[in-house]
Amino acid sequence: MGFLDLVLYFLIMMGIYGILTLSLNLHYGFSGLVNFGHVGFFAVGAYTSALLTLNGAPFLVGVISGGLAAGIVGFAVALPTSRLSIHYWAITTLGIAEVIRLFALNEEWLTRGSFGLIGIPQPLISVFSVRIYPLFYLGVVLIFLAFIFYAIRCLVNSPFGRVLKAIREEDDLALAMGKPVFHFKVKVMALGAGFAGIAGALYAHYITYISPLDFMPIITFVLWSMVITGGRGSEVGSLVGTVVIIVLYNSTRYLKDLFNISGQTVSSLRMVAIGIIIILVVLLKRGGLVEEKKKTFNI
Amino acid sequence: MPFSQVILNSIIFGSQLGLIALGITVVFAILRFSNFAHGEFAVVGAYLAFLFSVTLKINFILSSAMAMALTGLIAVVIDRLIYKRIRTEAGLVLLIASMGVSIALRHIVSAIWGADPLSYEGVLTKSYSVLGAYVTGAQLLIFLISAAAMMFFYLLLHKTKLGKAMRALSDNMPLAQARGIHVEGVIKWVWFICASYAALGGILIAWETLLWPELGFLLLLPVFCAVILGGIGNVYGAIIGSLILGFVENLGLYINWSPLLNFFGLFKATSAIQIPEGYKPAITFAALVVVLIFLPTGILKGQKGD
Repeated sequence: MGFLDLVLYFLIMMGIYGILTLSLNLHYGFSGLVNFGHVGFFAVGAYTSALLTLNGAPFLVGVISGGLAAGIVGFAVALPTSRLSIHYWAITTLGIAEVIRLFALNEEWLTRGSFGLIGIPQPLISVFSVRIYPLFYLGVVLIFLAFIFYAIRCLVNSPFGRVLKAIREEDDLALAMGKPVFHFKVKVMALGAGFAGIAGALYAHYITYISPLDFMPIITFVLWSMVITGGRGSEVGSLVGTVVIIVLYNSTRYLKDLFNISGQTVSSLRMVAIGIIIILVVLLKRGGLVEEKKKTFNI
Repeated sequence: MPFSQVILNSIIFGSQLGLIALGITVVFAILRFSNFAHGEFAVVGAYLAFLFSVTLKINFILSSAMAMALTGLIAVVIDRLIYKRIRTEAGLVLLIASMGVSIALRHIVSAIWGADPLSYEGVLTKSYSVLGAYVTGAQLLIFLISAAAMMFFYLLLHKTKLGKAMRALSDNMPLAQARGIHVEGVIKWVWFICASYAALGGILIAWETLLWPELGFLLLLPVFCAVILGGIGNVYGAIIGSLILGFVENLGLYINWSPLLNFFGLFKATSAIQIPEGYKPAITFAALVVVLIFLPTGILKGQKGD
């Protein structure tokens, strides 16, 4: 793979992870929902879109259905947990992501189990030459990213978004103000999950091969490191966090040759670095790189 | 598989789980946060025991004791370095910090020992027959050791000054401080004891089966489920919850669900319907959801976090 192809690959991955990070930030950053199972929604979107397009549906239908399916799962997860505290949220969402992965692993009639789905069609592949195609796909991903970025920005600055922030800061207070906190949590959970589903679909059509191994729980925690590093409750921060973590993550690729250690050790050390980044951000700079501008009243 | 075997497996798994669940619930009761890194203490302990007993050829019991103590010390150091600085923050901040700790610890382990499964040497494989069920010497020992550890914890909590201080702290920390209890000192002991117990749990699980870095993460769901089932923050709840969860997992796989499905008239099942082995973690999760819907405070009264 040439240098340019590698750059395009990373840019596309940054776009897809950018959508994921934005949607996780919508859950955790703006609404205070501790979602430890974001990869589950990613998987639902990827599998839905892959299965539909493999059976003849067009690309856009697949992507949108992927988003819808993930949104419905998010809605279903939020129903029993919405009235509970963050600790229960954390463990329930962690659990649902595992159940989704188990489903993909065990229901071989649908998902081909651990073999995974192969040959997922790419949109307009015949129109472009092989060299140009990643550039086109990058454009597609960026259009989705821009759309979701804009949607989230509008949402969080709307009255709906202000209620979300109120729930994040003090949900009892929001309840006392007459806001249906429960409804808001369910809605925002479904919406964020839907965006993650779209990211999943884009991932599936880019890589053209998905298996349960693509949706390991560790991805959720990498996403968390992106949200936290970038800045909780900041849309721009999510994008910055995504870029920073992906660059850090992949620049360690070459350590292998430098220090003569095995690839497996390098990938472990890389995750150690992710863990330490999370701890350091929590300890030293809780607002992240791009801190959220909170409106304050000066009396 | 005879039914008695199912009961036996459930008890063994429940007692292993209980040792880890205990620590999570005690940390929650006193420090008010869910420690997501607790499963990693079990793994770190088990790997340290592997290091001492297999690599350095020290006696297994002595290595286990050393591994427990060392894991306890690691937990105290982590508390000093990380959790202590954010002690007064909301539970959410601590929760996220513990997530970072968990990721770092798990991958430090896999960087040192690799991702492939390991096992201890000289496991007692001689099996005895009890009421039609087979039990190995190791399993019998696991049950006895866990039971003894639980008894020890009960005595610690109710018969010693430290236990009294721990209970006071979980009731009301500022008041306990005002009464002259050295809070930070007690918290050090809490971490030491909880992490050692988790290490013991990890060693016993690895002793019976295998040891690999993802073990701690796989345990997280059942352990938290047990803790919530029993009432988070309640020590006895954690033990009862672990035992119940052991039964739920094994019975869920054993039961033939077709009569139940026929009873509800969902569809006419003619052959036996059983949950496939691959869905074992899903049974845990289903139990968790049922508990959260119908019994959110757990079987025994738990505590409220934020």
